[in-house]
Amino acid sequence: MAFFLEVLIGGLLVGVLYSLVALGFVLIFKASGVFNFAQGAMVLMAGLVLVQLLNPTYIGKWHFAGVAALVAGTIGVLALRALKPAAIAAGGGTATRRLPLLVGAGTGVLGGILALSAGGKGWPVWLAVPASAIVMVAIAYAIERIVLRRLVNQEGIILFMATLGITFFIDGFGQTIFGSNVYKLDPKVYFGIPNDPVFLLEGVFQGGILVNNLDIWGGIVAALLVGALALFFQYTRTGRALRAVADDHAAAQSVGIPLNWIWFIVWSVAGIVALVAAMVWGSKLGIQFSITFLALKALPVLILGGFTSVPGAIVGGLVIGAGEKLAEVYLPQLAKNLLGIPMSGGIEYWFAYVLALAFLLFRPQGLFGERIIERV
Amino acid sequence: MRNRQFTETLLTVENISLSFGGVRALSDISFDILKGEVRAIIGPNGAGKSSMLNCINGFYHPQQGAITYKGVRREQMRPHEAAEQGIARTFQNIALFKGMSTLDNIMTGRNLKMRSGIFAQALRWGPALREEIAHREYVERVIDFLEIQHVRKVPVGQLPYGLQKRVELGRALAAEPELLLLDEPMAGMNIEEKQDMCRFVLEVNEEFGTTICLIEHDMGVVMDISDRVVVLDYGRKIGDGTPEEVKANPEVIAAYLGTAH
Repeated sequence: MAFFLEVLIGGLLVGVLYSLVALGFVLIFKASGVFNFAQGAMVLMAGLVLVQLLNPTYIGKWHFAGVAALVAGTIGVLALRALKPAAIAAGGGTATRRLPLLVGAGTGVLGGILALSAGGKGWPVWLAVPASAIVMVAIAYAIERIVLRRLVNQEGIILFMATLGITFFIDGFGQTIFGSNVYKLDPKVYFGIPNDPVFLLEGVFQGGILVNNLDIWGGIVAALLVGALALFFQYTRTGRALRAVADDHAAAQSVGIPLNWIWFIVWSVAGIVALVAAMVWGSKLGIQFSITFLALKALPVLILGGFTSVPGAIVGGLVIGAGEKLAEVYLPQLAKNLLGIPMSGGIEYWFAYVLALAFLLFRPQGLFGERIIERV
Repeated sequence: MRNRQFTETLLTVENISLSFGGVRALSDISFDILKGEVRAIIGPNGAGKSSMLNCINGFYHPQQGAITYKGVRREQMRPHEAAEQGIARTFQNIALFKGMSTLDNIMTGRNLKMRSGIFAQALRWGPALREEIAHREYVERVIDFLEIQHVRKVPVGQLPYGLQKRVELGRALAAEPELLLLDEPMAGMNIEEKQDMCRFVLEVNEEFGTTICLIEHDMGVVMDISDRVVVLDYGRKIGDGTPEEVKANPEVIAAYLGTAH
């Protein structure tokens, strides 16, 4: 019994990792009806930036200054938007259109100089994490500005192809800047979380249940994140606007929903979710380029939970995480005892996809997805 | 055929030209819309009618020309700005949020009128709740007016075509627009549905004083309900005036019936 619980809990905590990535996919799918292939690449990018800022011995100080400049520039532009929304909204003359550029460049240079004068030392966590979040916001802005803005009113498949391009761009760009090493993100050093196993319920079972401390923290972070996102997206005007944008671009614009702004917000939030995922995954596995495609494990999670549901992403992740670990351990035994078929391991690699296939056959909208409505 | 007099100009289109690559959709179009009138845009298929509407509400940005709306002259407008300025519209190929109910669809029309902050909305406290209720009341009035009470909770994807068109009109009305753009509101409807739609359009115009600009192919309807008519053909304006004037215009007759060359 203790062993069963241990496997179950271990699986659930791995599932949290899947959920974290799946969340990013869900957010963008809800807002644009697009499966954002680039979510995994965004997790990678967020992790790379964070690790570089924390420990600049990984890269030269000019890179470091560059990232700092980007952060400062983005803060400048956003502050301008917050302080003088009227000037931006008018947007008629070239003067007002250049203003954000000028402010961005100015604050950017200032930030770079500040970072250089600090001698290229690593930043503490409380500074590096928000700074990485701001880099993700800047990336979201760039994606909206350069790619998505030109694709309003296009088919979902075209937007999907665009995100495929973004994936490989971010992946390659990351290597160009940061190199292809595996970077260690030691949770004990940076977040004060010991990466040791702990024993739970020692009074109930002999020897207790072995659980990794880090995994528990991952679970807590995921729970907080989901709570915040659920409030934000399910119960606000933004939430309704999101559903509208996903359904029909033209109609959404005609009722006064600023499509570009909504896309920017959603990609920013997805970027910040990617950062959280990067922190949790990076602590376990290190920041490495395989994260981009590891993140595709979120696909069966989404099919299970439903592409449009935030709770679905969580439940789906947990079910798949726990399911594949339990299957890995118990399925060979069952097969042998009941059917007399010898079976070896490797089950956890395909279990998620077979489960997803079953769902596609019997419940294509997933556990929590919106019903697919077809007029007959 | 109605004889009403309007004086105040709501919108002026000046020398609009729009092309997509080598295709000229609109060349040098000018006309005006007076406050309170029903203005029709007619013309054969491909004449540029929908493109004209898309320019007015900012979906397309014409290469030349400008549009003056409520005294402000603009060369470009973004769709959400147009909506903020009180321009609402419906589409030729119904653009509704198919997964949402009739009620939710019409509620999106109130989008710009909502003011309370994100956090208040999330927690549904005090002012946000009162605001939601007030908007809901307005939406219920729109639903009553359009006689679609019986489908309030039905996802619009399941509704028949004629009712979908009505829901779309409802969403536009929920925004309390000053200028309502209707792109073929009666296309594909049977006579009964057309009569209903005509009645709604006229009531909106007369009771709320909403200015209406509509594209329509049914000439009987156009001549009955509009005050003035613009005629487009191959992206050019070939006629402009009251229904009688337009009917008598030889160029218009040629465009519709063809001429012996």
